[in-house]
Amino acid sequence: MLNPLRSEAEAFRFLIYVVVVAVLIAGFVLLVRALV
Amino acid sequence: MEAAAVSGTHGSHAGVHDEEHHGPPEANRSSRVEPQLLGMLLFIISEVMVFGAFFTAYFFIRVVNGDQWPAEGTELPKLIAGVNTAILLSSSFTMHWALECAKSGNRFGLKAGIVTTLGLGATFLFIQINEYVHIGFSPADTAQASVFYGLTGLHGAHVFVGLTLLSMVTIRSFKGHFTPEEHRGVEVPGIYWHFVDVMWVIVYLSVYII
Repeated sequence: MLNPLRSEAEAFRFLIYVVVVAVLIAGFVLLVRALV
Repeated sequence: MEAAAVSGTHGSHAGVHDEEHHGPPEANRSSRVEPQLLGMLLFIISEVMVFGAFFTAYFFIRVVNGDQWPAEGTELPKLIAGVNTAILLSSSFTMHWALECAKSGNRFGLKAGIVTTLGLGATFLFIQINEYVHIGFSPADTAQASVFYGLTGLHGAHVFVGLTLLSMVTIRSFKGHFTPEEHRGVEVPGIYWHFVDVMWVIVYLSVYII
């Protein structure tokens, strides 16, 4: 399991995941707001 | 005779001890996690709670109160902050590259990576301060302004702490302190730097974009 506090490599991978998930959530919110 | 033998054995042990260890005895370790990592782990957990308190104030204004965001008559510079986000994210890539270089014994790569990370982080902070100067509202104007300055300022303070750590790593890198076997001094600040980046991505998307 990914533990961002175990090593720098895992923290870096966690950052990439956060960026992807956060951009997807922001995109979804903006899309819904545009449609409603 | 026996006493002499015991004394002799003790003497030889003391000799070995003197050769192997200097200074005070090593601190007791009660955790399987390395002390440096454990310290950073506990620190980051407490930091998440601090950011959580600021995000609570932010979501209270936007969700519970349903106030306009940003406050009427104010505007947030999304594009400049977006460029700043790209700068900070780039610095995480250079940080990761620096550590990979340290692990593989590439000293030039380590130094170049750390200096680039430091430069990108300083640029981020400079742009952030410049944004404050030109944004046109103060923390005392509205609740939204207070939360905006609170969240971005808290993050900016973390970037400053990160830059201080990176400065130490840079000096140590140039002094040749890190080797493929011993690079904990790069790894632990690296974890902190990625944490600062993770927090900025969340701050940027929630404060500027959504």
